[in-house]
Amino acid sequence: MNDTEQLVKDALGKLAERTPHPGPTLNALRRKRKRPRNVFMIAAAGAAAVAVLIFAGVIASDRYAPPSGNDAAAALVPGNGNALKYAPHWLPDGFVEGHRSVENGQVVRTWVPTGAAENVVRGSGPSISVASGSRQLDTTGWEDVTVRGLKGRLQLVGQVATVEWKAQETLVVTVDSVADLRETALRVADSVRADAKAVYQPVFRVNGKQASEMGGNGPADWFAQINLQPVRVRVSPQAPQVDGTRTPITLRGGQAFVVGDTVAVQDGNVWIVATGSVPVPDLVSIIDKVELLPSPDTSWLGR
Amino acid sequence: MTPSFDDFVAEQVTPLLRYATVLTCDPHLAQDVVQEVLLRAQQKWDRIGSVDLPHAYVKRMVTNEYLSWRRRRAAKDVALCMTTLESVTPPVGDTTHHYDEREAMLQRIAKLPRKQRAAIVLRYYENYEDSEIAQMLGCAEGTVRSHISRALATLRLDHTPEPAGVGLRLGEGLS
Repeated sequence: MNDTEQLVKDALGKLAERTPHPGPTLNALRRKRKRPRNVFMIAAAGAAAVAVLIFAGVIASDRYAPPSGNDAAAALVPGNGNALKYAPHWLPDGFVEGHRSVENGQVVRTWVPTGAAENVVRGSGPSISVASGSRQLDTTGWEDVTVRGLKGRLQLVGQVATVEWKAQETLVVTVDSVADLRETALRVADSVRADAKAVYQPVFRVNGKQASEMGGNGPADWFAQINLQPVRVRVSPQAPQVDGTRTPITLRGGQAFVVGDTVAVQDGNVWIVATGSVPVPDLVSIIDKVELLPSPDTSWLGR
Repeated sequence: MTPSFDDFVAEQVTPLLRYATVLTCDPHLAQDVVQEVLLRAQQKWDRIGSVDLPHAYVKRMVTNEYLSWRRRRAAKDVALCMTTLESVTPPVGDTTHHYDEREAMLQRIAKLPRKQRAAIVLRYYENYEDSEIAQMLGCAEGTVRSHISRALATLRLDHTPEPAGVGLRLGEGLS
């Protein structure tokens, strides 16, 4: 074992010392464990839950924001669009939208300082995100707060503040590496309103699945991607940076290349890149199936 | 005799959390992953509890859950920085001169693509052989060697600031 390997071993051992206490996990398990239930009980409970949700939805929407005729329209955007539904009406100075993702009914919009969209991808640096959907966080031990008159929860961990509350959906504001974390997170949360206009337009589809995220700084500096496990497909106007010997191939009627577990081809103004630990013919096949949107919507980037 | 699910959890929850923490470099994500896996395991316990090594089976579930995990902040597919990590679970006192080196190494490990990181953890933390890692990750032994070789090559590099720009280098965050 050389020095690097020994250091890796030591570092992982050190990390293991930071294992969280099992208490919260055990408590969560006790609360959430599913027990076998009578089918009729499930049906009755389901019907009751639907009734409660409808009632609660009406109440919550009344408390949360004035009814808007556009909300229904936003949820039924024609074509390829997905309604983004919510937006903050207050952000610290200098923050612009740099990333959107829509996957499994979960929508996340993220704002970053101008020109810093890479913060989202790398998970570091200042960012503020608003997420909406049905997924609920485990807020055990979080601080009780109020967001627009609704009961919410707040957690501060290091440089990250998270606020969760429930309106028509579960909403989560996450503030990372921004001054006055707590105040900023609560102020952003208080400013969140329904946004009937914002729409996520997937830049491409592959095998019937749409690109799940898009980010960037402007019309010439963006990317869209989907992770198809174990293959990631990425589309961007920027040429891929990849080291190694390039083996040229023909793909989508043009010149493409293979490097390691990556296949890339330029199609019009964009590069389509597939990366993953699968045989090259599989990567080629996936790229062949990519359907590009003729005119990607980049108007929201950096605004 | 099949162990009860409760007995299994009582015995294995801490080892599973420890493994998940090392795998994810993120105690919060580790809790989420283990909780998710145990909830699923409980539903299928009749089957899982009767296999030869239930803990190995569930550990593989943890690995798969981590590799396929789509968090709310899915795009932020990079583990927490060490500052955050330490605020969650403060490190125990360490006065050895290797501390900074290990911390720097942890930061580099946290940025590895998931499968490479998993392979590194299984090799250097769990001391698994190539064949065992291949079984755990569902890939060929050659792929395991490739993952580890590429990861070590990355980890050997001096850590220098990356150039600004939106795009990940190809392969980052995935393998």
